[in-house]
Amino acid sequence: MPDSGFPWPIETTRLDNGLRVVVSEDRTAPAVAVNLWYDIGSRHEPEGQTGFAHLFEHLMFEGSTNVAKTEHMKLVQGCGGSLNATTNPDRTNYFETVPAEHLELTLWLEADRMGGLVPALTQETLDNQRDVVKNERRQRYENVPYGDAWLRLLPLLYPPGHPYHHATIGSMADLNAADLPTFQAFHTAYYAPNNAVLTVVGDTSAVEVFALAEKYFGAIPSRPEIPAAPAGQHVSGTGVATTETVITEVPAPRVYVAHRTHPFGTAGYDVTSVLATVLGSGRGSRLYQRLADGERIAQPDLVGAYGVDLAYAPAPLIATATARPGVPAERLAAGLGEVVDELATVPVTAAELDRAKALLSTAWWRQMSTVEGRADTLGRYATQFGDPRRAAERLPAWLAVTAEQIAAVAAEVLAPADRVTLTYLPEESS
Amino acid sequence: MTLISTRPGPGAARPYRFPKVLRRGVAGGQLIAAHLPGQSLAVALLLLDAGAGREPQGREGLGAVLAKALEEGTAQRDATAYALAIEALGTELVAGLDWDSFQVSVQVPVDRLPAAVELLAEAVRTPRLEPDDVRRVRDDEATAQRMDWANPGPRADAALRADLFGAENRWGRPLYGDPETVAALEVEDVRIFHSEWFLRPGTLVVVGDLERLDLDALAATAFAGTGGGAVDRGGPVEVTPRDGRTIILVDRPGSVQSTLRLGHPSPHRAHPDHVPMRLAGTVLGGAFTSRLNHLIREVRGYTYGIRGDFVSSRRFGRFAVSSGVQTAVTAPALVEAVGEITRTQQTGVTEPELAVARSWLAGQLSVELQTPRAIAAALTTLVVHDLPDDYHARLRAALLAAEVEEVSAAAAAHLHPEGLTLVVEGDAALIRAELAATGLGEVVTSTR
Repeated sequence: MPDSGFPWPIETTRLDNGLRVVVSEDRTAPAVAVNLWYDIGSRHEPEGQTGFAHLFEHLMFEGSTNVAKTEHMKLVQGCGGSLNATTNPDRTNYFETVPAEHLELTLWLEADRMGGLVPALTQETLDNQRDVVKNERRQRYENVPYGDAWLRLLPLLYPPGHPYHHATIGSMADLNAADLPTFQAFHTAYYAPNNAVLTVVGDTSAVEVFALAEKYFGAIPSRPEIPAAPAGQHVSGTGVATTETVITEVPAPRVYVAHRTHPFGTAGYDVTSVLATVLGSGRGSRLYQRLADGERIAQPDLVGAYGVDLAYAPAPLIATATARPGVPAERLAAGLGEVVDELATVPVTAAELDRAKALLSTAWWRQMSTVEGRADTLGRYATQFGDPRRAAERLPAWLAVTAEQIAAVAAEVLAPADRVTLTYLPEESS
Repeated sequence: MTLISTRPGPGAARPYRFPKVLRRGVAGGQLIAAHLPGQSLAVALLLLDAGAGREPQGREGLGAVLAKALEEGTAQRDATAYALAIEALGTELVAGLDWDSFQVSVQVPVDRLPAAVELLAEAVRTPRLEPDDVRRVRDDEATAQRMDWANPGPRADAALRADLFGAENRWGRPLYGDPETVAALEVEDVRIFHSEWFLRPGTLVVVGDLERLDLDALAATAFAGTGGGAVDRGGPVEVTPRDGRTIILVDRPGSVQSTLRLGHPSPHRAHPDHVPMRLAGTVLGGAFTSRLNHLIREVRGYTYGIRGDFVSSRRFGRFAVSSGVQTAVTAPALVEAVGEITRTQQTGVTEPELAVARSWLAGQLSVELQTPRAIAAALTTLVVHDLPDDYHARLRAALLAAEVEEVSAAAAAHLHPEGLTLVVEGDAALIRAELAATGLGEVVTSTR
């Protein structure tokens, strides 16, 4: 078992304005990854403002005090870089990977949109990006079969008022209602240096990055009070299984089974991660062996299980299967539920455990094989657990999980009474 | 607050380096490898001359079915034992194909690569292909394709390809076939395809910390029990763009977006204009800041994204633009997209746009080629297209040296706005009249 999942140096500092800076030097390739985690996600959004954190992520590419509209993309791609940003319930991250000689340009761009976005934000930009995001919603959630499963599962798993109750993409009504002053206030509230972690990994040094961070970010003032998200650590189950059935235009019945488990980063979630791999990752998994291969009631390409790595409340575990032609949804749902139930009653064998750990090890090292993968990981651990060095603990923690722990966690969080079942049925079978 | 207003310039440029490439013949096959010192993961990829181009006419989807059937048991163990053995190493067998090749690969911590290559070879060379299993895999693949074809896109792609290349040709039909062709495959088709193409040695690609690997032993494992030589791969196919545009409407009732696929044939991979053509495609539609995305997304807000590019294989190529736009703006989005293609063909590119395109594509050769999988993909390019070891360095130099004149000339020569096939997959009842009113071309309804 490796002692560490992160055998590279990590150096950290904190600027006077509160910006935390993390550097991991690696001269293997002539590239650097720059990554910013802002501690602002859809869990912070008040009622009536769903989708704001994500729409804001779009606005961050539309110009700032010294950067013209569209120039951000042009400058990064124009120096050979890759870039993007994502928003989820927990946070928003922004990242670029560039040839190493363009590190300073990248830091300048990030500093300018952290400290100078509001003056550049116009009604025209807001209207344009609102249309883009509405098209993103159509493309990813509305115009594809089963596309809205995640949007439906969240409110079934988390009660109204819970920070994970609504999905990050937000509602069309809230997006339509968004006005410019609200957005300006949103940036002012959350996009502060003391609410962010800057991580740089690759062909550079801590000395160089710390100096550049001070030069470009040092003058951005901190904000004394950053609004906290509502608390969500404790979600009391209803004790009654929840089911929802959707009859719509889908090509085959599909069932999702979901549970609240433990927050990402806890020992309980490490067990959940291994459990999810035993249950639903690969052809050797229980779901594949039982439903796709054994009973042959599920389509082999569409059976699986995974945890969603959310850190501020019991994170979801989702198992899913899609019916082979002629298999009724009830039979599929019963089979899926049975395999999940058996995690508590049929002990996980040594071979199952070894298989899951081997797959998780490869997945971990795959994430570590790029500078951008490492940067995002360090940013996560600095933001969510206060110390990027804790990234090294994850892989050894997975490898230490035992069969007894899996059975115990399964008994604790996968009880049928705490289950959410979402079923899609094709229209013609109704 | 004082933000620094002056944009910093670049620091000292690092020299470009692609890992050293090693090639040799071993045990009847070809080996190509690249050294990534200190990398914890290693990749082995077996490259076979068994791409979709090898599938007989009317048997589209054969390679896709065989890819899945490989794991349904081997001479040594059944499907379950095989899955447990390979996943216990931390990998899954990844099998897939494109027009030019069939590829099977594993990715594992470096010390497990010999065991993983043994299992890879076992599946590729000695699959059981029991008739009942093959029939079940075929039926599952047909079902999987029906699921996929329920999404917007596949039907439009098929309509475009058929119009560009002719459905009577293999390359005028979908790469993976369609639900009907897959469902019609017979057990014997699969067994014959395997015996014809999967028992030739092929090329083994290895990427990782080579100091910890015995390449000859890996190659001997991969090529054991193989025979037969290379088979002629056929020359480039001549395809001329259509005479006058057409709009092909693929009905998708209730769709909240229209899926656009616009395209025409373009030169094959070895064409001397490959580099300037790629740059012209990047200025027009290949990057976020490209003309199409700027106008249709950033100015108009019609879409979440639109892109266009030239893509080529050994024997043919195509230029295509793809997007999903809100139903209500289908016609204006189509008109404006055709307008940008026409403008680029007629007036070429500007130096500022080309500057972004050339340094982006050149820089991506540093930024994107980090992982063992990415390097393995780069090595397969060398093999499939008969390119030299220093190809990536040469490509980088050629990209950086390209001038406005040659890129504009490539745009003028290889874009054919008047010969575009415009496929629109959307709610026909809502958009048909508007599409006809654009005057871009006659509207025909696809039977797909």
